[in-house]
Amino acid sequence: MPGQPQAAPVKGFFTDTTLCIGCKACEVACKQWNQLPDDGFLFTGMSYDNTAHLGASTWRHVAFIERPAPLHPQNEGAFSWLFSSDVCKHCARAGCLEACPTGAIIRTEFGSVYVQPDVCNGCGYCIVSCPFGVIDRREEDGRAWKCTLCYDRLRADMQPACAKSCPTESIQFGNLEDLRKQARERVEKLHSQGMREAYLYGESAASQPGTEGLHAFFLLVDKPEVYNLPPDPIVPTKTVKDAWTAMAAGALGIALAALGAAFFAHKNGAQS
Amino acid sequence: MSTVRYKTSPDPVSTDGRDIDRKIAELAGEAADQQASGAAGKHIEKQAGTWTQLPQPHAADPTYYDRPLLNESVWGWAIPTYYYVGGLAGASLALGAALELQHAAKFDRLIRRCHWIGFLGCCVSGALLVYDLGKPQRFLNMLRVFRPTSPMNVGAWILSGTSGASAAAFFFRQAGYAAGLFGMALATYTGVLVSNTAVPLWNASRKVLPVLFAASAVTSAGSLFELFDQDEDEARVTRAFGSVGKLAEIAASVIAEQHASQVARVGRPFQRGFSGFLWRTAAVLTAGSVVMNLLPRPTRGKRLASGILGTVGSLLMRFALEQAGNASARDPRASFHSQREPLAQ
Amino acid sequence: MGTSFGRGGATDFPGDIVNSDVIVIEGSNMAECHPVAFRWVMKARERGATLIHVDPRFTRTSAVSDIHVPIRAGSDIAFLGGIIRYIIENERYFKDYVVHYTNAPAIINKDFKDTEDLDGLFSGWQKDKGHYQTRTWMYEDVDPEPAGGERESEAAKKGQPIQRQPIQAEHTDLTLQHPRCVFQIVKRHYSRYTPEMVEETCGIPKQLFLKVAETLCRNSGRERTGVFIYAVGWTQHSVGVQYIRAAAIMQLLLGNMGRPGGGVIALRGHASIQGSTDIPTLYNLLPGYLPMPKAKHDKDLETYLKLNQSPSGWWGEYTKYFVSLMKAWYGPAATQQNDWCYNYLPTLTGDHSHMNTVVDMADGTVKGYFVMGENPVAGSMHGALQRKGLRQLDWLVVRDFQLTETADFWREAPEIERGEVKPQDIATEVFFFPAAAHTEKDGSFTNTQRLLQWHHKAIDPPGDARSELDFIFKLGRRLKRLYQYEYADPRNWPIRDLIWDYPTQGPLEEPDAEAVLHEINGYTVHDGKPVEGFTSLKEDGSTACGAWIYSGCYRGGVNMTARRKPHWEQNWVAPEWGWAWPHNRRILYNRASADPQGQPWSERKALVWWDEKKQQWTGHDVPDFIVERPPDYRPGKEARGKDTISGIDPFVMQSDGKGWIFVPTGLQDGPLPTHYEPQESVIQNPLYGQQCNPERMEWMRKDNPYHQPYNDPRFPYLITTYRLTEHHTAGGMSRWLSWLSELQPEMFCEVSPELAKECKLKNGGWATIRTMRGEIEARVLVTNRIPPLRIKGRIIHQIGLPYHWSSKGLIRGDAANELIGFVADPNVSIQESKAFTGMIEPGRKSKGRRHVTSGRLVKKLPGREQDRDLPQARHKPETSHGFKAMETKEGNV
Ligand SMILES: Nc1nc2c(c(=O)[nH]1)N[C@H]1C(S)=C(S)[C@@H](COP(=O)(O)OP(=O)(O)OC[C@H]3O[C@@H](n4cnc5c(=O)[nH]c(N)nc54)[C@H](O)[C@@H]3O)O[C@H]1N2
Ligand SMILES: Nc1nc2c(c(=O)[nH]1)N[C@H]1C(S)=C(S)[C@@H](COP(=O)(O)OP(=O)(O)OC[C@H]3O[C@@H](n4cnc5c(=O)[nH]c(N)nc54)[C@H](O)[C@@H]3O)O[C@H]1N2
Ligand code: SF4
Ligand code: SF4
Ligand code: SF4
Ligand code: SF4
Ligand code: SF4
Ligand SMILES: [Mo]
Repeated sequence: MPGQPQAAPVKGFFTDTTLCIGCKACEVACKQWNQLPDDGFLFTGMSYDNTAHLGASTWRHVAFIERPAPLHPQNEGAFSWLFSSDVCKHCARAGCLEACPTGAIIRTEFGSVYVQPDVCNGCGYCIVSCPFGVIDRREEDGRAWKCTLCYDRLRADMQPACAKSCPTESIQFGNLEDLRKQARERVEKLHSQGMREAYLYGESAASQPGTEGLHAFFLLVDKPEVYNLPPDPIVPTKTVKDAWTAMAAGALGIALAALGAAFFAHKNGAQS
Repeated sequence: MSTVRYKTSPDPVSTDGRDIDRKIAELAGEAADQQASGAAGKHIEKQAGTWTQLPQPHAADPTYYDRPLLNESVWGWAIPTYYYVGGLAGASLALGAALELQHAAKFDRLIRRCHWIGFLGCCVSGALLVYDLGKPQRFLNMLRVFRPTSPMNVGAWILSGTSGASAAAFFFRQAGYAAGLFGMALATYTGVLVSNTAVPLWNASRKVLPVLFAASAVTSAGSLFELFDQDEDEARVTRAFGSVGKLAEIAASVIAEQHASQVARVGRPFQRGFSGFLWRTAAVLTAGSVVMNLLPRPTRGKRLASGILGTVGSLLMRFALEQAGNASARDPRASFHSQREPLAQ
Repeated sequence: MGTSFGRGGATDFPGDIVNSDVIVIEGSNMAECHPVAFRWVMKARERGATLIHVDPRFTRTSAVSDIHVPIRAGSDIAFLGGIIRYIIENERYFKDYVVHYTNAPAIINKDFKDTEDLDGLFSGWQKDKGHYQTRTWMYEDVDPEPAGGERESEAAKKGQPIQRQPIQAEHTDLTLQHPRCVFQIVKRHYSRYTPEMVEETCGIPKQLFLKVAETLCRNSGRERTGVFIYAVGWTQHSVGVQYIRAAAIMQLLLGNMGRPGGGVIALRGHASIQGSTDIPTLYNLLPGYLPMPKAKHDKDLETYLKLNQSPSGWWGEYTKYFVSLMKAWYGPAATQQNDWCYNYLPTLTGDHSHMNTVVDMADGTVKGYFVMGENPVAGSMHGALQRKGLRQLDWLVVRDFQLTETADFWREAPEIERGEVKPQDIATEVFFFPAAAHTEKDGSFTNTQRLLQWHHKAIDPPGDARSELDFIFKLGRRLKRLYQYEYADPRNWPIRDLIWDYPTQGPLEEPDAEAVLHEINGYTVHDGKPVEGFTSLKEDGSTACGAWIYSGCYRGGVNMTARRKPHWEQNWVAPEWGWAWPHNRRILYNRASADPQGQPWSERKALVWWDEKKQQWTGHDVPDFIVERPPDYRPGKEARGKDTISGIDPFVMQSDGKGWIFVPTGLQDGPLPTHYEPQESVIQNPLYGQQCNPERMEWMRKDNPYHQPYNDPRFPYLITTYRLTEHHTAGGMSRWLSWLSELQPEMFCEVSPELAKECKLKNGGWATIRTMRGEIEARVLVTNRIPPLRIKGRIIHQIGLPYHWSSKGLIRGDAANELIGFVADPNVSIQESKAFTGMIEPGRKSKGRRHVTSGRLVKKLPGREQDRDLPQARHKPETSHGFKAMETKEGNV
């Protein structure tokens, strides 16, 4: 198609939470680059997390988990503090994209999932269709927003602002294939160092069939739930056939009810 | 940009929360035109309250400070109302078409009523959707594309089709049949729409919701007709139509609840809290309505009572479902358990 | 660090941390406060290094450490002393290194008495003066010259210069056996710092302590190195300098100095805080660590030079640097005949450090105050006393981006909110000038690793905002105009004769920052050509140089500080990124990375070495040594100045070329670190009768009350203060930004679940924290990250307070500094804000009461207070240098 951008290799994020120091530079860099407004000031009492969740104006969010369990190799004391920088997963099968009735959400030449703000009509359907609770609508704005994988930066051959600002390379950006390789090597290394609990979350279709893999995947050391990630997310369209079938049954039911009522009344009426 | 007095700030500050002085700099970022009043506090307070316990995940059944995993739907009252109105319109048009098939003059008034309700229903539906979206032209964005993966997009086409057909039905008899067919889709697709989400309660009951919506649409139509002046023939039609719908609705809601409750935590909003209350009330009202229908010796009083009970019941059911869905979206354990339990098997 | 090694700067650069085998971060929360430099720590860890974090709290640094050691705030010397003992007792020190490169073999004056002998005091305490006389700490028969610290105190006290000679071999014992050699003294000094004592003092379980000590020892020696990293968790104590000394001793014993992956890294705070001591904003220094003349004894140039020029070591070059500085300032007016305008320099009459100045303001003797890039009302100790000072001023100038709490002290402050002070009663005239940010001006930063990096102006400053350079330059021009008509009075000449001619540029007529750099670099007077480096400076007035240590940064007219060659395009030392003083050396004292024969201790840790063929030192880094001095060179008896530096003297700034394990001179409070409790503590000093540092600065004033030294029932908890990644210091640059404000929106306190239970505090709820100085309220964050410590069966609770909030900005909260009184370290006048006592209660009861305006906040305890000092050290007279604060008639509260 003319005007269609040429496909580049699929890009993504590998967020290695064992390297994260919870500095939130990624959160701020994202806000700054994309010029996102603040989300309000609230002392949440949740460790050092005062932004709580991804949302329409918070596209990176760092979780702070205070665990009463040791983390290898820190074997002194039964305590550890985990950090994890969450972001839109740019799912291979994206619930938001598939649900969007306007076509506002598209898959870009980088394989990322991008919301076109000028097309979005604010219907909010993507919001309930994202199994990760990522995309959201800002009240005053009335449209849905989320991480763009820094589409504008990628087009200018720059890496995303959050990855660029991460001091410890906890957020790694690159070609998805390379990242997967790197990530597997990293897990192996951690295992060999004794951190048996390290594993990859969503790195491939095999490990997360419900989404057919994430373009932004993670290295975690505890259950996904601990990080507020779903253990086995499934893009809704994968199960929706049931509903279409049920819809057919329902429509048929209406037809039968209507025909039956009409027929019955007609018959009985004629008799009297 | 407006001048805002941040709650926590002693001086009024001119900011929309972006830290950019628009006198000096132009905004060009991806979110540059995101509207923000600067009324800080609102967003985060919607997301989070203050955590009052020791910050420690529960090892066996962890969550992240019990924060929701999912974002709950942003739909206000207009959307459940739309489910009701759309269902009503769709079922009416279906009934109209069925009556048309009987070729009996005694149903002419009822058929016209069906068409009117269908047509007006479509208009109100459109209005409700536009109200929810905020701007009329935003509705048209949905008609830029045809996207079968999106029940909402399919629905937009169905609503458009139904509107057109129901308007045409005033002029062409044949259009009434088309309207009837579209109507059936209009009354049921919303069930797919809510099922096709990550909201655990809705998704778990996806095999039933479209049927429930169909039944409820029939209830709605039947009940509304009961509120009009009717002759005996008409009353017979609507009573029969309505009672089938109501009985089916009660049955479907029981099954929906069962489906949802296969994972206890998912079905919980049907039983507990405000949503549980609404859900139960709706069922009781609908049951009351069908009782009125089935009592011997129909009277006008019974008919009106049945109509009112059925209308309120089916409307309430939509709200209850909305509330229950939101409640399950807010409960991270609903999602976690629904995904863990199949994994464990 | 100056007194131990010779220079007051980090000895290594953060990028070199990747080469470390063990990294100890103690007294810093590096991941939170220095996240970008912390990347190197993470990389080192990935390479297999062990990371140890010693901190009262489990912080974001601890979260990624291999070992977190919870420690009672204010007890680090006991911990480090314990490690020193472990190293010595188990013979784990790096013998060859210790013998040749440190002063361990040096024999000390026979009159020296240790704290072990005197229950916490060293010999030389003068009862009448309330001060040490440090003669007895000297080497036997030699008076070495300190390279840093109080450089002339000994002579000053006698009122005349002391005859000095270079240190000779006969005053040492290379077998380390002489009972009076440094090694044996150190061994005795720390013999009681056993693991049990560490546990009793610091609350660190014995097993954990042993694990740390063993890990350190295992990772040192020829093949392995470890680095020590600290910041203000160490400096902000009344014994702060001695904390750092303890680390220096450890690193010298382990042989970690001057080697890759070794060293002691002081993480400096603000972007150019290192720069602001190099070219100082300190009252007692001239650029390049040349001391300010003192009124009492620096009568003329000759005396001044005599007192400062060391006969041995690098400070033998003193005159060259001083004369060049005067030539830079006074140009043709500075001549040999008029002593290079020496008498134009102001002379010090006492201690004019920050807290003394504030007290003088409060007492009405200081009338005007410039505050540029500082927010003392929120960021400095004792906010209420700070504001009391400001209220007494005639005028106040504040230059900042925002109307900070300091600029608005007359409008918004706790005492004004309470109605105790009315704005209309404050006569201070406040001038606020908007300041240009670093992106809006050219200039350089000197960071942690002594690295100068140029920043180019990206955009003009908005409105009336101007750079400091512009402000000072134009202020200077106006002053010169005012003074030019009054030739007669010599008092005006220092300003009349000042060279003040930087070229200006652009529509705003801003002075050219590179012209300033040119002057700092130095130039030959006759043609203005930049000099090559400080070795080109002359004492005959033919060169001018603004700061000798920076000489070379503008070599050949090239702005070396603006070089930006990335590290992946050069070797790992990255010498072509920016420019480091001195002489672009990145790892200081790197001569010590080679053995006495000049060959690397090991291949793995090679850095610089002696090249036999070329007959010079060479390697990855610029050698921090005289390049052509062979390893086997030994000076003769007649040698003076640089010639006294032998081939095995890596610490060239020291008068004996050695790393000082024992500091014979230069420190106020003792040659060896000794455990003293903070001014306010929860326990009695377990080691000595002397509770606190006898030389600490304290201000006995009614408006600066102290708690009991220990076990004060009114204030049972230990409090420490610190930073969060999300905010910056006093908040002027973060509380006004919504993106940062939302990340940490409210002032809070961190408490353990146990303390929360004891005091009925609820997570997310409110608490009031109180000291004698004031009360504040804060939200409660209950967390296992600040564990209670067990000391002698007693539970010690600590409370953590970030100090970023105050009464203005997008978000506000009470300032932690409202709680803290004036107490300071005697060597560098740094406040004790990391350990003090207080009370916490649930609820939002704070009425904002401050002792300064509301009077006594807590009932006085009956009876006499416990003692902080031994009887002979109790007397604290007023002194001209003001090391002891004035005792007021009102006495202690
Ligand atoms: N994000 C951010 N970064 C900053 C700053 C900022 O405000 N925000 N400020 C900059 C400045 S000016 C500076 S000076 C540096 C300071 O950098 P740091 O010194 O690293 O910062 P602090 O948080 O003040 O203190 C460090 C740690 O010391 C611990 N501590 C307190 N008392 C003791 C003690 O007695 N012993 C030991 N071992 N530890 C103790 C505290 O718990 C704290 O975790 O940071 C700089 N970097
Ligand atoms: N309790 C407690 N107190 C502490 C500490 C602690 O750990 N605990 N730490 C201490 C330490 S280490 C420090 S460094 C101090 C810091 O304390 P301060 O230096 O008082 O605090 P800052 O907020 O850093 O103040 C710097 C001000 O300079 C302004 N500024 C920035 N750039 C420029 C510029 O180019 N020109 C001008 N004119 N202004 C500029 C900023 O807006 C800001 O208001 O706090 C000390 N106080
Ligand atoms: S994470 Fe959610 S918002 Fe992001 S691509 Fe997947 S479905 Fe869409
Ligand atoms: S809110 Fe916007 S992006 Fe989301 S589904 Fe609707 S149109 Fe698409
Ligand atoms: S990729 Fe860009 S938009 Fe997405 S989180 Fe990172 S900075 Fe924000
Ligand atoms: S910038 Fe990197 S290290 Fe910092 S919070 Fe984000 S992911 Fe973690
Ligand atoms: S604020 Fe600047 S100096 Fe501090 S860590 Fe970040 S980049 Fe480094
Ligand atoms: Mo600092």
